[in-house]
Amino acid sequence: MNSSTQKRFAGRTGSGGFPASGEFESTLRLIASLPAPEGLAERVQAGLRAAPAAASGASTGRTRILAWPAALRLENGWLQSSLARSAAAAAIAAVVAGGGWGVYSRVQLTQPQRGIALPRVAAPGGFQGAGAMRTPQTLNGPVAARTVTVGTQATKAAGKPTQTPVHRGKSAAARKAVAQPAAPAAK
Amino acid sequence: MYDEARQRAIEAAFADLVSQYSGTLYRVAYSVLRNAADAEDAVQEAFMRVLRHRETLDEVRDQRVWLIRIVWNIVLDRKRRAKTRPETDDVAELARVLPAGGLSAEERAAAAQHHARVLACVEQLPAKERQVLMLSAFEELTSVEIASVLGITESSVRSRLFRARNLMAGLLDHQRSLR
Repeated sequence: MNSSTQKRFAGRTGSGGFPASGEFESTLRLIASLPAPEGLAERVQAGLRAAPAAASGASTGRTRILAWPAALRLENGWLQSSLARSAAAAAIAAVVAGGGWGVYSRVQLTQPQRGIALPRVAAPGGFQGAGAMRTPQTLNGPVAARTVTVGTQATKAAGKPTQTPVHRGKSAAARKAVAQPAAPAAK
Repeated sequence: MYDEARQRAIEAAFADLVSQYSGTLYRVAYSVLRNAADAEDAVQEAFMRVLRHRETLDEVRDQRVWLIRIVWNIVLDRKRRAKTRPETDDVAELARVLPAGGLSAEERAAAAQHHARVLACVEQLPAKERQVLMLSAFEELTSVEIASVLGITESSVRSRLFRARNLMAGLLDHQRSLR
């Protein structure tokens, strides 16, 4: 037994200030001394033989995640000529342009929607519309009085305007009153 | 011609390394991972790493300790990434791998449970103390070699081992008092 082995783990013998080795060490020693499974070395050798290329590639620093196919590698030389490179670039450009045109020619502009389709919300326990139709809240437009004659002599003489501008926001009764012909006022 | 001969010599040395140390590396890996398939994978990975540096193999002073250090780092990394292992897994695995030794089925089950309980206590130790304690269980590793594997001084190994044993005694006493 060499000196370093003698030095190791004085606690195992209870000397050297260590507490006496306990039951836990027998468990750990048991685990540490379990035999390796049969044929482990052969399996490891076989595994290493199965991946020699990857290992040698890594050692030379040329490992790639996605390797080019052998026929396309630059070392093979067919892509070295400028003609071949131009042809390849033209082919790529043609494919990209063709794809773009194909998409463009298939796309149809959709008609803008006339109305807004509201989603039907039917939450459990919530309120429901009871089939009511929603109508947009638009204002009534100005009502033009038919009796108004634009540019009659009577109105010219009176020097009063024939039409009174109808202001938005007034009530219907007010608008009606304003829209009455100006003739009675000229009397 | 010379290169070919050198290459053949390196490959032969590597094959010797595998056949000589795969068992030791497996036991080191198993003591941490406690799963046969995982331990074998770790050994494979360790030799894969060695294969990448096989050109510099003859520069390594102590190949055994160097290999143990490689596999030790691999298994610690794997264990860190793996989920916590339940004690029931350990009981089942130990019952499978422990030598029968003339014990009945009940005795073997009880022994497996006892060992699993001890290993659960080991898992509760701080990482530094746990690592030293686990490596100290290997008969073939001296304190100097353990220091080399862990990258610490020999005196650190001794002090950590002292602390680990004290902590283990306390944990086991506490467990006994609960029973």
